[in-house]
Amino acid sequence: MLRAAAIAERAGVPSVSIVTTPFMQQAGVVSRGVGLPSLPIAEYPGVPMTDGSDAVARKVEALLPQLVAGLAGARDTGRPTAAEPGPRDVVHRGTLDEIQELFHKNLWSDGLPVIPPTLARVERFLAHTRRQPDEVIGRLLPENRAATVWSIAVNAVMAGCRPEYMPVLLAIVEAIAEPIFRVEDAGSTPGWEPLVIVSGPIATRLDLNHGQGVMRVGRQANSSLGRFLRLYLRNVAGLRIPPGAGDKGSIAGSFNVALAEDEDAAAALGWSTFGVDQGFTRADSVVTVQSVVSISPPIYSAGTRALDHVRILAEVFGGACGYWSSIGMKYARWEPLLVLGPSIARVIAEDGWSKDDLRRYLHEHVTITAREAETYALQVGATAYTLEAHVKAGVLPAAYATSSDPERPVPVFVQPEKIGILVAGDAGRNQSKGYVNNHIQGGRVSKRLSA
Amino acid sequence: MTTPEPVYDVVWPLAPSAAPAGSLAARSADLSGKTVGELWDYLFKGEEMFPLIRKALETRYPGIRFVEFETFGSIHGRDEKELAATLPGLLRKHGCDAVISAVGA
Repeated sequence: MLRAAAIAERAGVPSVSIVTTPFMQQAGVVSRGVGLPSLPIAEYPGVPMTDGSDAVARKVEALLPQLVAGLAGARDTGRPTAAEPGPRDVVHRGTLDEIQELFHKNLWSDGLPVIPPTLARVERFLAHTRRQPDEVIGRLLPENRAATVWSIAVNAVMAGCRPEYMPVLLAIVEAIAEPIFRVEDAGSTPGWEPLVIVSGPIATRLDLNHGQGVMRVGRQANSSLGRFLRLYLRNVAGLRIPPGAGDKGSIAGSFNVALAEDEDAAAALGWSTFGVDQGFTRADSVVTVQSVVSISPPIYSAGTRALDHVRILAEVFGGACGYWSSIGMKYARWEPLLVLGPSIARVIAEDGWSKDDLRRYLHEHVTITAREAETYALQVGATAYTLEAHVKAGVLPAAYATSSDPERPVPVFVQPEKIGILVAGDAGRNQSKGYVNNHIQGGRVSKRLSA
Repeated sequence: MTTPEPVYDVVWPLAPSAAPAGSLAARSADLSGKTVGELWDYLFKGEEMFPLIRKALETRYPGIRFVEFETFGSIHGRDEKELAATLPGLLRKHGCDAVISAVGA
């Protein structure tokens, strides 16, 4: 919203933005990031979604003077000119405890101890890439800082990564810098968290866990790669929870450890690996990043036929996706991820089902009612949204408005081909798990590793 | 005798700002006779707020007119980036002298 206002200002059209009180600090981060720290704002006090019509009218009346002042009287108060350190500048000398205190005080850590980023340690990471330290991979909103190779190495040191992870770290940042990932929305209120998926030979070389306990902290590569990304979002994208600003995750969650696939198990079933599904070969080492906003319960399924399992998967994974699918429908794109336990995948595959068969089954059998979809979306804040209007506008396919009956079923998965399927977890148990992504925010992006 | 605790020279973990330079557009002192575009993210009751704003400003500024939010579509939707690219042209096309962007951050 402020980004649209900034576009108007740069086109010579004065703007004022209506921002609710709880978002004022985040608005400051966004305004500075777009290079217009004085963007005029009219503050709406409180939370519109819990205000009745009378309160909305009263509050709109109250914000009118700010609104008029923004359009007709605002003056540029200039940009802050405080100099910032250069990449090789030593910003502090101290003991381990002193370094921790400094990093906590300046909001440079994630609340956990960090490895001190010394020049020597950073250089050891840079030795694992041919890219120049000052090369800019992309610009990361909302704080809008340049994602340099140097800054990746610094934050990787802090997160406890090993220097040889550098090609993976570079690919992670390349992925989140892609416009389709929408890193600018990584501080939105649902509090989604990126998930890194490592595919191909590099996963074995770096000793990533793909088996039992795959999503638990405890294996250095899985844990530190996940931690790196959260630190990088804080320090370079500017997504900090209070006492910082920029990250408005209402309740949010912790970082995800990086996920790897049991590729041999997938291949033994005649299934493509997740990396191949993203358009690469098994010989390619690939990093994929996507958002995860919530996780299903553990999905236990038993039986010797594919249907024994896919019925339960549809019920539990589909159920976990149901509520949030209303937002997936609003944006007509989302990419949930199903992690199948190896024993489950084996039964499904040996019964002749392909991954696409499973996707089709989920698409056809997991539905909610149109009333539920519209009601759920309304609670989030989509106050003028109907499925029918979205179909008329060509955003959603006709299947979402086959009648005006509010109890008509509509598919939870808008595009079956976007359901990610990956084999991982405990080969000695019959459990799967589903990961719900945050619609267009944190869209799935894959990058092949390069040195 | 205890060994002295090691000390570390540490570097800055942030990265250079890439925020572009810029300044606010010039303002008119009076909104009378001006055209105001409504940019909305289709969230948080903008459909209630914009009509209230229109009514209030119309009584205070003779000749003010509005290009309503439906003309632009959602500024925070699936096609946000495409809209951003075309927004300056759309504002020119509709003769907007100012915009109100709402609701959120």
